[in-house]
Amino acid sequence: MNTVVADITYRAMLGRKRILLLVLLPLALIGVAGLLRLIGGPSEGTAVTLMKSFAVGTILPLLGLVAGTGVIAPEIEDGTIMHLLSKPISRPVIAFTKFVVAASLLALFAAVPTFLAAFLMIQTESGIAYGFALGALLAGIAYAAVFLLLGVLTRHAVTIGVIYALVWEGLVGGYVPGARKFSIQQWAQSIADQVSSSVFFKADVPIGFAVPAIVIVTVAALLIAGQRLRSLSLTGDE
Amino acid sequence: MSEQTAIIHDIGYRHYDGPRLGRGSAARALAVHSLRGVFGLGRTTRAKIIPFLLVAIMLLPAVVSIAVMALVKQQGIGYTAYAVAMQAVLAIFLASQAPYLVAPDLRFRVLPLYLSRPVTVLDYVGAKLVAMTAALFLLLAVPLTLLYAGELLVDLPEPVHTREYIASMVAALIAAALLASVGLALASFTPRRGLGVASVIGFYLFTSGVSGVFFAALLASGHEAAAKWTLLINPFFLVDAVQVALFGTEPSNGEGYPSGPWPALILLAVIALALTGLIARYRKAASS
Repeated sequence: MNTVVADITYRAMLGRKRILLLVLLPLALIGVAGLLRLIGGPSEGTAVTLMKSFAVGTILPLLGLVAGTGVIAPEIEDGTIMHLLSKPISRPVIAFTKFVVAASLLALFAAVPTFLAAFLMIQTESGIAYGFALGALLAGIAYAAVFLLLGVLTRHAVTIGVIYALVWEGLVGGYVPGARKFSIQQWAQSIADQVSSSVFFKADVPIGFAVPAIVIVTVAALLIAGQRLRSLSLTGDE
Repeated sequence: MSEQTAIIHDIGYRHYDGPRLGRGSAARALAVHSLRGVFGLGRTTRAKIIPFLLVAIMLLPAVVSIAVMALVKQQGIGYTAYAVAMQAVLAIFLASQAPYLVAPDLRFRVLPLYLSRPVTVLDYVGAKLVAMTAALFLLLAVPLTLLYAGELLVDLPEPVHTREYIASMVAALIAAALLASVGLALASFTPRRGLGVASVIGFYLFTSGVSGVFFAALLASGHEAAAKWTLLINPFFLVDAVQVALFGTEPSNGEGYPSGPWPALILLAVIALALTGLIARYRKAASS
């Protein structure tokens, strides 16, 4: 962890247009929750649907993409990462610092709004708000690590991340139950299910698989990203 | 005083005195170049992977459907439902390719170089828009036409669905125009390609998510008419609603849409709004 690198990364993330997406998406989530509350009143079933398909299924992967790739991909694209890599800071430390920045942004812009949206709909009934907030927090950490790794590996990180989130987690996960085991948002749901006691909600992946999976994926992605940064080559883009 | 040693050699520079093709040809050349670029033609091999992968995924249901028609003599996927069924693929294609069309020129500030030619801002924007629209139309029209050719060849017991085919082709053009104008407008607001991809896909995921959640909630609380309106937030259902209004085809969501001219008016308003934003963005970029 290097505070100067963290400081620069925070400024790059919060000072540009990226902040617009980071703020607008969670605001929209809270707005949708408020509108649903006005239309249907407090309903546990609707709250679970909103959390499952919208908060964890749409907003969280999107924010994960913006934050996870955003901390490193633009610098690699510009070539300005050279200035950072030529300093006497170990490359794994740089990767870890960028990951901490992305994960903290996700905690602020994804996990907190998830809690607020659920709280707005049904307060803390059945522990849904706590469960999904915790799920979003841990899954956000995993997303940050995975998308950071993607940003180091390829110039098309955002596109590949979108294909993963939309096609694998969304389409394939919808039809093939086995694919759900390897989907970060399903792990978030397992954690949410563990905490909440709602009858409207049953996760597909056992908690005994989800938690170790999040830990392994996060650590492995960070280690690989650190290794890749040690031998990063800046070839010209098309 | 030193002796004068400098000499100017005549190394034979010539003026260009061939025909000058002018504004129309320049805009056309830009459009063709952009259209090729969307599919990665004339770019590196790595740039071709994603567009061609998505084209292959788009063709897959048509091929499977023809096989089903040939083997069990039954219609597979319908023409009019094709765009709605494949909406995620279309959205990913738009998100991954729209920023390529607009971001590099803005990022490297080369717009003045284009505008020093007879091309105007409107020509430039128009060429990019035509290229993206044509690419999206091809992405839909090729599988649909393949499906139609397959249906003609297989010779099913039921009559050929020519009407549905024509309706789906017109709807494909409308969908392409809508997606291209919204996608380019969103992508043009950032010179960063990654952020452009994220904002376009964010737009799709957000609109489809909102429409899905509200549709389910309103249907559950018994507001059926209002629920149908919320479907129109998703751009693909909006186009499907226009298709239903124009051709009286079967709605692809199984629920139906609000009737009357409203879906078409909303569609036109969205396109107009996106184009206004796009042109304003480029007028600003050209003057800076």
